[in-house]
Amino acid sequence: MKINAKDLAASLFLMAVAVVGLWLNQDHALGSARRMGPGYMPMLVFWLEIFLAGMVLVLAFFNGPDPLVKWTGADIASVALGVAIGTVVWKLSPMLGTYFSQTYNGVGVGMLAGFLVITWATRWRLIGYICAAMCIFALLLEKGGLMLALIGTILAGVLAEPDHRKEPIGVLGITVFLLALCWWVFIKQLDIRVQVFPWS
Amino acid sequence: MEIIGNLAHGFSVALSFTNLLFALIGALIGTAIGVLPGIGPVATISLLLPITFGQPATTAIIMLAGIYYGAQYGGSTTAILLNLPGEISSVVTTLEGYKMARNGRAGAALATSALASFFAGTVATILVAASGPLLTQVALSFGPADYFSLMLLGLIIAAVLAQGSVLKSICMVVLGVALGLVGTDVQTGQQRFTFGIPELSDGIGFVALAMGMFGIAEIILNLERPEARSVLRTKVGSLWLTREEFRRATPSVLRGTVVGSALGILPGGGAALASFGSYMMERKISRGRDKFGTGAIEGVAGPEAANNAAAQTSFIPLLTLGIPSNAVMALMVGALIIQGIQPGPRMVEAQPDLFWGLIASMWIGNVMLLIINLPMIGMWVKLLQVPYKYLYPSILAFCCIGVYSLNNNVFDVYMTVLFAVFGYMCSKLKMEPAPLLIGFVLGPMMEEHLRRAMLLSRGDPMVFLQRPISATMLGIGAVALLAMTLPNLRKGKETALAG
Repeated sequence: MKINAKDLAASLFLMAVAVVGLWLNQDHALGSARRMGPGYMPMLVFWLEIFLAGMVLVLAFFNGPDPLVKWTGADIASVALGVAIGTVVWKLSPMLGTYFSQTYNGVGVGMLAGFLVITWATRWRLIGYICAAMCIFALLLEKGGLMLALIGTILAGVLAEPDHRKEPIGVLGITVFLLALCWWVFIKQLDIRVQVFPWS
Repeated sequence: MEIIGNLAHGFSVALSFTNLLFALIGALIGTAIGVLPGIGPVATISLLLPITFGQPATTAIIMLAGIYYGAQYGGSTTAILLNLPGEISSVVTTLEGYKMARNGRAGAALATSALASFFAGTVATILVAASGPLLTQVALSFGPADYFSLMLLGLIIAAVLAQGSVLKSICMVVLGVALGLVGTDVQTGQQRFTFGIPELSDGIGFVALAMGMFGIAEIILNLERPEARSVLRTKVGSLWLTREEFRRATPSVLRGTVVGSALGILPGGGAALASFGSYMMERKISRGRDKFGTGAIEGVAGPEAANNAAAQTSFIPLLTLGIPSNAVMALMVGALIIQGIQPGPRMVEAQPDLFWGLIASMWIGNVMLLIINLPMIGMWVKLLQVPYKYLYPSILAFCCIGVYSLNNNVFDVYMTVLFAVFGYMCSKLKMEPAPLLIGFVLGPMMEEHLRRAMLLSRGDPMVFLQRPISATMLGIGAVALLAMTLPNLRKGKETALAG
């Protein structure tokens, strides 16, 4: 058997999306072909997706081999743990302070926790730190201002590249340079509406 | 001659101080991006989209267009000097260009590339100016059914010409259309797939999707690969071409311009296809064909002319029909829609400043690129030495601020994170993100036209086959799909897009 595992996984993913889509689409009136309701186009699109994904699925058994990278135990465990801890943090975060019950801060801190947990596995180190860096930005921006948010993002972002850990001077250089650049571009030139310093 | 009057109007728009300044900034950034490996034009444009929103639509599009052809130019520099293609479209330039550099003719190769691009750009600009209004007239006679079929054809061709499996690319197109469904239904006002999240009622943020899948996901993928960086060993040398070189390059430039202009208009086509097509042609028919592989100037001149011509003519379907032919053009559509302009055949009349200003700025941009690239080549070579590890924190920071400033809402930042994870997963499963982006942009328009066409035909789907324009489009689409089931053609495509 020449199984193309990548295609297999892709087709299963697409099918799952389409099935969920069709299920959600039950809420929308279909209408008729002449007067299409809000649910008509989604119905066509998701059935087409199921059909196409089905073709990918069938072909996946013949056009391989193209195996997926083997996940180690740590890879799987860290993802499971990341999702679990992230969800728990999200749900419990309002207890930490009112800030986390406002807008999307609770979700954000949950995502941050989840992404930090998956950095435990070497495979997810990059994606974990990069995504965590973005979450830190979103969490710090409205409370701490742009400068603080940028410092947090850059420091978390550079953790993704092991070389940076050996050269704190380089990291300091990047941080100072980017703070100045972003201030000049976004505050001085474009004048976006955002708090700049924690005290302003 | 109406076209001269129109072009004069365009130049009066494009030569205003702000527009000139932004065209220059765009060209500079574009060249920088093209030179730096690891950041593609799609990522750059999505990164810089939010910066342009404060500007009027014309200025914004002029700047984005500047970035696009700047990236085409810049990509050739690294291809010639370092054997590293900055963009896919400059992969073939490495074949002969780098050999020329090894032979001590790096300067000549760079000059050939710049002059060929400039010539092709000029021709393509005239072509866009001349064909734009004509095609617009044709497009105005299109009914909803014709539009729907045309968009369908565009999506099919985009999928057929994408890298990798055609079937999976079509799946990605459909997934993109599905993502485009999220939000308020235009006709009934019902919320679809929003999960009660108010931020989703206007649909999934276009910038969040593009930045996540192209910007952030690309950072992660680039960091995963060990950095490949060769040191510049060759000297640039004289930029002047010898008389002999000039004589050999000229016919190739002419052929490249024709091939590039034609392939650029094609939906799903664009610079990568054009440069490869021209290279194949030069290797077969140019007089220096026996010198190919040893640094033939024809192999630089033809493809370089072709990719620049294609970069410009790919604006034709966008400006006349409102249909993006590739991922970069999909971003342009997104930019226009955010500016409140519906791209389509009515743009010429409703937005003459934008239409003619953009065309005039194409040529101005070409002049700028010539100046930016040839005398300042030393500076770009220096920029090449910046390691990626110092580069990516800047991309990260710009993405965060840019996507936030769109609506002043952190929700968009979290959406970007989700799309980054999704984009990363897609690349691991060899699912192409570019067709998804085109589907996402075209999806809502297709639904509109489908509904209108079916209402007019009283629910009879045969209308798509009865209208001649629509039937032709569907026919071409069907042929394109069938052609891909032929093993020979599929192999040809694979070799053509490998790289």
